[in-house]
Amino acid sequence: MNIRRINWRLKKRFGPAVTATLSEGSIVLSGRLPTWGEVIEACSLAAVKYSTTHVVNDIRCDEVKARPMRQPTLRDTALEGRKPDVLIIGGGISGASIARELSKWKLDILLVEKEADLALQASGRNDGEVHPGIDLSRGSLKHHYVRRGNAMYDQLCRELDVPFKRVGQYVCFEKAWLKPLIALYCRVRKNRDGIADTKLISGEELRRREPNLRFAFAISNPSSGCVCPYGLTIAYAENAVQNGAEVSLNTAVLGMAVQDGKIHSVATNRGTVYPALVINAAGVFAEEIAAMAGDRFFSIHPRRGTNSILDKKAGVYMHTIASVMDITRNTHHSKGGGILHTVHGNLLVGPDAIETWEKENTETHRESIDRVFQKQQRTMRALSRGDIITYFTGVRAPTFEEDFIIEMGRKTGNILHCAGIQSPGLTAAPAVALDIEKMAVGYLSALKPVARNENYDPIRHGPPVLREMSDEQRAALIRQNPNYGVIVCRCEEVSKGEILDALRSPIPVPTVDGIKKRVRPGMGRCQGGFCSPLVTQIIAEFLGCPLEEVRKSSGEAVITYGKTK
Amino acid sequence: MLTVDVLVIGGGPAGLAAAIAAHQNGAAVLLIEREAHLGGILKQCIHDGFGLVRYGEKLSGPEYAGRFIDEFHALGLEARTLTFVTRIQKTSEGFAVTLVNRDGVETVAAKALVLATGCRERTAKQVSIHGTRPAGVFTAGCAQHFTNLLGQLPTRKCVILGSGDIGLIMARRLTLEGAQVLGVYEAKSTPSGLTRNIHQCLRDYNIPLYLSHTVTRVFGQDRLTAVEISQVDERMNPIPGTEQLVECDALILSVGLIPENELAEGLGVAIDPKTKGPICDAGLMTSVPGVFSCGNALHVNDLVDYVSESGEAAGKSAARYRPGQQRTLIPITAGEGLLYAVPQRLDVAADRSAVTLYFRSRENLGPCRLVITADGREIYTRRYPFLRPPEMERLELDLSAQALTAASQIKLEIEVMEHD
Amino acid sequence: MTELTCIVCPRGCALRIEERDGHFTVTGNACKRGEQFAMAEMTCPTRTLCTTVRTVFPGVPVISVRTSAEIPKDKIFDVMREINRACVTRAMKRGEAVLPNVLGLGADIIITSGLLEEKTEKENDHEQ
Repeated sequence: MNIRRINWRLKKRFGPAVTATLSEGSIVLSGRLPTWGEVIEACSLAAVKYSTTHVVNDIRCDEVKARPMRQPTLRDTALEGRKPDVLIIGGGISGASIARELSKWKLDILLVEKEADLALQASGRNDGEVHPGIDLSRGSLKHHYVRRGNAMYDQLCRELDVPFKRVGQYVCFEKAWLKPLIALYCRVRKNRDGIADTKLISGEELRRREPNLRFAFAISNPSSGCVCPYGLTIAYAENAVQNGAEVSLNTAVLGMAVQDGKIHSVATNRGTVYPALVINAAGVFAEEIAAMAGDRFFSIHPRRGTNSILDKKAGVYMHTIASVMDITRNTHHSKGGGILHTVHGNLLVGPDAIETWEKENTETHRESIDRVFQKQQRTMRALSRGDIITYFTGVRAPTFEEDFIIEMGRKTGNILHCAGIQSPGLTAAPAVALDIEKMAVGYLSALKPVARNENYDPIRHGPPVLREMSDEQRAALIRQNPNYGVIVCRCEEVSKGEILDALRSPIPVPTVDGIKKRVRPGMGRCQGGFCSPLVTQIIAEFLGCPLEEVRKSSGEAVITYGKTK
Repeated sequence: MLTVDVLVIGGGPAGLAAAIAAHQNGAAVLLIEREAHLGGILKQCIHDGFGLVRYGEKLSGPEYAGRFIDEFHALGLEARTLTFVTRIQKTSEGFAVTLVNRDGVETVAAKALVLATGCRERTAKQVSIHGTRPAGVFTAGCAQHFTNLLGQLPTRKCVILGSGDIGLIMARRLTLEGAQVLGVYEAKSTPSGLTRNIHQCLRDYNIPLYLSHTVTRVFGQDRLTAVEISQVDERMNPIPGTEQLVECDALILSVGLIPENELAEGLGVAIDPKTKGPICDAGLMTSVPGVFSCGNALHVNDLVDYVSESGEAAGKSAARYRPGQQRTLIPITAGEGLLYAVPQRLDVAADRSAVTLYFRSRENLGPCRLVITADGREIYTRRYPFLRPPEMERLELDLSAQALTAASQIKLEIEVMEHD
Repeated sequence: MTELTCIVCPRGCALRIEERDGHFTVTGNACKRGEQFAMAEMTCPTRTLCTTVRTVFPGVPVISVRTSAEIPKDKIFDVMREINRACVTRAMKRGEAVLPNVLGLGADIIITSGLLEEKTEKENDHEQ
């Protein structure tokens, strides 16, 4: 689309309020609009799906309040003067997987994450589906990576000791007359787009496999699976650390000095570092990082989604992944969510998709739950809100072209962007990380010889999961360590030994939430009502600190205010 | 394999009473407790008022539990503490119960089981509280654990949602420890807790109680900084436009208790949707022969005295249980005006000379009459000056003279009486 | 006229108290204890105070206590201050007095929990 045509369309819709200019290969929109919804509309109007000519949003919006990125309160000089070969910004699935793949090489790798733990934003706040790519057509990076990533999951999760189940996914249809049309769609996907396993099945066959799903017919994608998304991120990062990489949590990038088209230094709250190469895996803040590097050629427009987690008792209703397809409605931006049986046996319902200018607002709203349940009760009538044990919101990080950006900087030489990562970002991540590894090693090899890391070990062992063991295995472990026999979390059956293992893991996060993410105390139906005082006590004992110094998550998330007397 | 007659799961007031009663009725008993000490939730219920019915004294929770623990030990009974039940399987002789503790994994065989597993608290998400996920959202029992067992102050300035008894007790407790309790908010138009707790926990300390109000949102990224309070309509839905912000550092929830019956459900025990506890006969045997239920796992009690009473009944029945014994169960239905009635079944083939019934009214009622019918015949009536859902009522009936068949039905109903 | 809810037992009778020439008449009570309660509330309301006292044992940082008899309601916070100054240094038993005759009110502060005895009986048992 040429720039004159974009301006003509913008003028028709918004009058003189917004104009587009072509600047350094990007379409830059400027002007002023009252609402964020209009900003999204204007930018989407200028954007071409999957295009590499990106829309950059410079429209001032009356609705948007300046809200600086949340920063850790920690201030020290732990990283001052460090000269890593690679600085990875962002401890989500992208950053963690890249760190692990790069650790195959003798490189000084530093990953910084502004939050108190890994996978605290989009990577930990999604449904964990490993997608088949049925909704993606050729020509996009998403399509390119989703199939490759999906195929890697079995071996990867074995290597990293992460639960993964290839349970299969059903896209269900209510109206039988759609069948010929959908059959055609599947054929195209299969033959043109390489989704080899996709298949149409009858309503009867669907019911035989999932008795609570009652539809005219469904698309079956057996290659679809589910994984614990934060578990995988943590596992990747731990394996990277085992292989020599360093992870620095509570570390935010505050600015960069760019000289002669190269990043010279990166300022953080823990000191200034001087990396040879910067990898931008900053999720919703990828645009800000690109801007700091003088390489802002795209924009991120945050889109939030809320998922509900249902009691394991509801897990028996369905054992796979399912959603109802409504082709009469506009499903441009979102699949509208679905129902997924998680690797831990819960049902997960959602997410919805709401445009927002707030990158870090993960509040939940009643309306989101209402909307999602209204839709998903069509997928499965047995679904009941009474089974909800908790809910959470994540903020996705799409570009206006709705595709990934995986490339070296366009204006700045030593930055590699892994941006615009949204669904199916988790599925694609393993494959994306391999390509980024190649690109990074290629770049660095031009500067100095890069040798293989002889000691690289792809195998990571997570803490043992006693609830899944046979009595004999369990008894053997308890003999070695009696703490494995002390159950602390009754709902998820987590022992004191497992909690201590998490505290001794390669990237320990000694907070109640950090332990919860690693070994699950508090994830069950009582939501930590019974075990959180016990977990707090175990952490305090382990750290040798007073109980009141233990935190829920970040440094300011105080649990108790000290002794009563 | 260790074999016992009666295995009691849970070492709180119900389980202790059940174990003692089973022993006194001649059974070889073993009690399993997942925590380090016996006493259950009473360990942290340090307030007084326990045992008024049973002992005519106002004991604190630990003292009340202590009397049973002393008796338990004096009788030479055995308890496995810090021991967790991972699995129960039915066998031809009864049940095989797999236990995990510091010594390893062990399976114990039992002829009968008493499930005295207590209850858990409803959480913020189960009452649709939205917003951020900061530290500082506690269930009342969790705040009580921190305060009374760990000696830690969970809040300096808080809002309490729900006027359940633990919430009221915690309002007073936190005030005594120097915290400021800004108010207790209750979505219902009447309090959920005992009237005496409203008086001695709130009024004594000038803590306001706001009825028909609820918390709709919480704020704060790390620690809670404020809550949003809304008024609610008769259906307890928030009324838009009534929102107000209250600054505080904690939200403490006392929004209901749910019987813990995951083990029971695993055994295929039928659950009453009204009580969320097993459907039992007058001997507190569940729908699965040989499995008994008592205490707060059976239905949520407001007084521990009745928890112990049901424990004793279940323990006694479990000791007398013989596999293969025939039951002829007829329904006891909670009809008009009742929230629920326990037990829900009567075994007409068993001794019916002393049937203990527990029930709650559906709403606050003035002068009224409880009418019990058998196949439409009035068999018992009783007048009450008032009935309130938070205050459970108990009756003991002799039904041995009633002509009851396998097709009979017993029904409880409440008739509101005109003011005289 | 004053209206009160009786807190002697869970029944929670609604009491009405009429004062005439310094004499009180109570109605609405179902038993004698209700009348006594109403009289006490009007003249000198008393309560049992239940709280915790600090200990030197790390596994049991605080232990529960109560007043052995009811104390005047307006003395509750004074007694709290006394209790908060105290500390249990040995494995005291249920019923033992930590503070005898606290503030001269005629009530002792007594231990209500057996956790300290149990702790010393089975030293390794509080592992959780």
